[in-house]
Amino acid sequence: MYALEVKNLIKTFNGLTAVNDVSFTISENSIFGLIGRNGAGKTTTIRMMMNIYLPDSGEVILRGTRIGQDFRNKVGYLPEERGLYKQMKVLDTLLFFAEVKGKIGKKVLKKADEYLERFGLLDRKNSKVEDLSKGNQQKLQFITTILHDPDFLILDEPFSGLDPVNINIIKEIILDLKRSGKVIIFSTHLMDFAEKLCDEIAMIDHGKIILSGSLPEIKNRFAEDNITLSFNGDISFLRESRLVESIEDFGNTTGIKVKKEAGTQALLKLLVENNINISSFDANQISLHDIFIKLAGKEE
Amino acid sequence: MFNNRTAAIIKRELKTKLLSKSFISMTLFIPLFMIGILGIQTYLMRYESDADTILLIAAGNDLLKDRLKEEFNTQDYVKEKKYSIVPVTVAGSTFEGFLSERKNDLLSGKISAIVHVPDSALISKKVGYYSTNPNNNTVHLKIRDVINKVLVETYFEGTNLSAKDLEYAKSRVDITGFKVSKEKEVKEEGPGNAILAFVFTFLIYFALLIIGTMMMRSVQEEKNTRVVEVLLSSVSSLELISGKIIGMVITSMVQMTIWLTPIMLLISTSWFVLPPELLMDVDFGLVLFFLYNYAISLVTFLGLFAMVGAIFSNDQDAQNGVWPVTMSIMIPFFIAMSMMSNPENTIARISSMVPIASLIVMPARVTVIEVPVWEFLLAIVVNILTAYVIFRIAAKLYRIGILRTGKSPKWNEIVKWVKFKN
Repeated sequence: MYALEVKNLIKTFNGLTAVNDVSFTISENSIFGLIGRNGAGKTTTIRMMMNIYLPDSGEVILRGTRIGQDFRNKVGYLPEERGLYKQMKVLDTLLFFAEVKGKIGKKVLKKADEYLERFGLLDRKNSKVEDLSKGNQQKLQFITTILHDPDFLILDEPFSGLDPVNINIIKEIILDLKRSGKVIIFSTHLMDFAEKLCDEIAMIDHGKIILSGSLPEIKNRFAEDNITLSFNGDISFLRESRLVESIEDFGNTTGIKVKKEAGTQALLKLLVENNINISSFDANQISLHDIFIKLAGKEE
Repeated sequence: MFNNRTAAIIKRELKTKLLSKSFISMTLFIPLFMIGILGIQTYLMRYESDADTILLIAAGNDLLKDRLKEEFNTQDYVKEKKYSIVPVTVAGSTFEGFLSERKNDLLSGKISAIVHVPDSALISKKVGYYSTNPNNNTVHLKIRDVINKVLVETYFEGTNLSAKDLEYAKSRVDITGFKVSKEKEVKEEGPGNAILAFVFTFLIYFALLIIGTMMMRSVQEEKNTRVVEVLLSSVSSLELISGKIIGMVITSMVQMTIWLTPIMLLISTSWFVLPPELLMDVDFGLVLFFLYNYAISLVTFLGLFAMVGAIFSNDQDAQNGVWPVTMSIMIPFFIAMSMMSNPENTIARISSMVPIASLIVMPARVTVIEVPVWEFLLAIVVNILTAYVIFRIAAKLYRIGILRTGKSPKWNEIVKWVKFKN
């Protein structure tokens, strides 16, 4: 059984179809990436998953049952456009959002202190939100998302506006949560983040899912087995080899496209057997970015 | 609809509103403002309009002149030198010349008025008041009884009338109001209840506008700062708007109770002593009805204000969007105020049973007259149904409007939203 199944969601605004028959599945204990360009339909899909928007048709299934308030209680949601009460104090903000999720008491207070310390905000816990820098407000918003210990984490563009240090802290927390058995769903238009973190992805373009599944399987499916080689010696014998589809000389490096059925290991073996002095062998598999460009047809 | 999540929203509303500086200052400011308005009005009526009045009393003969002088000198406003009385004798035929001679003095303000009491006034009681401000009611009221007394005494002089008879002839008819009701005994009715109706109407009017605006701004803030999206990931829009309204209703009821405490103390204790003419025929039932009615009014109007805040995110558009709501408070307010002169006027009677208007007009009406039971019950039913229907519509439009961005919708679009299934 999947942790979450999104089935045939459709949402139209004033005659414009923002989300068109979107379906995908998310496995237990995985990091799932909903990727696509700005305006592709990611946020609308997420809002329907959160029951903030009611879909025109379609449904979202949580472990076999249609989502309801139970899902809301189990989820931590970080919206793309962050929002906090400016006049509220930092600690009050955390406790309020935890209480809305049904969590109160000393345990929450202790956990709030732990997270504030981890993000370097402990000394600001009695400050008003409006007195924090934008970056610190982002961190505070992230803590409100995870403080009630949700089973599901839905993060809409979680890294936007953060510096590299804080991006790392959030990445670590995401991985910690995954290790503790949570399901993490995030949307992003930044393909390299998705590529580094996700186990599964769904690619959305113009409101439609154009690709979905496990990331290794997808990359394998689209792999073109391009190799960039730096070497000393004569590799002219490769032109006759049944392993190679094409060779392209770039001066300092040579690009070799290996036949799909042959594999990169066989090429490496052949080069070593022919005494080629290899200084670099870069088996650059196709990136998620390249897959997206290939499928969506144009650059962002 | 009511659960722990709603309770958390209510708690936050109470914490931020009940302890806010604006709540505390408004709670103190409104009664002071009200007392100020009444005080200024009274002050203006009593002092400002007729201070330093100089009256030239042109009597038709010496006897009248002397008697008028004598009588005016006994008046407090003359003794306190607020009025200066200059009596002269002007024969009837020479008055026109006398008037034209004094015209410049009247125009320059050297004298306030010439009061012409001719010989004929002893028969007709017709007295002329010549001034640049001829209909100054404050002065008329003060001099009328004095002149009447002199005329009556002079007219009956030499007759066999006793001093008692004369006193009777000089006195005016005194009309006292008695409130007739079904259950209670007939009681004398002073202006106390009319003042109370004014107080009730005034409080409900200002409180609804103030708390409604607070609600609208709070919703706008949640929309503009995007907090609402985080909230809606935890609570439904119905729970959110309910929590906010309940929080605001509690806040406002606390405020109203503070404002009504003096009235309740007046009824239940002997700490304050009112002049007999200001005695109020008020019981706790009336105060409780007022509070109940106020709670229903809050549910009705706060839903509307929240809806406007959700639909219109910028202040300019919100000001345009809120005017129908503001008007639906202002018009009943003016109708309720019209009852001060005639509590049983037809417009007030009908309005007290019409949805929305009833919320403001009925409390004032039951304070000043005995409202038939069926009208009272009808108003209660109408108000509860109105609150329910408006709450459902407001909650729906709130849900649609709150996550909407971009330019504000037109009225016809909003009407379409009401018809949406979701």
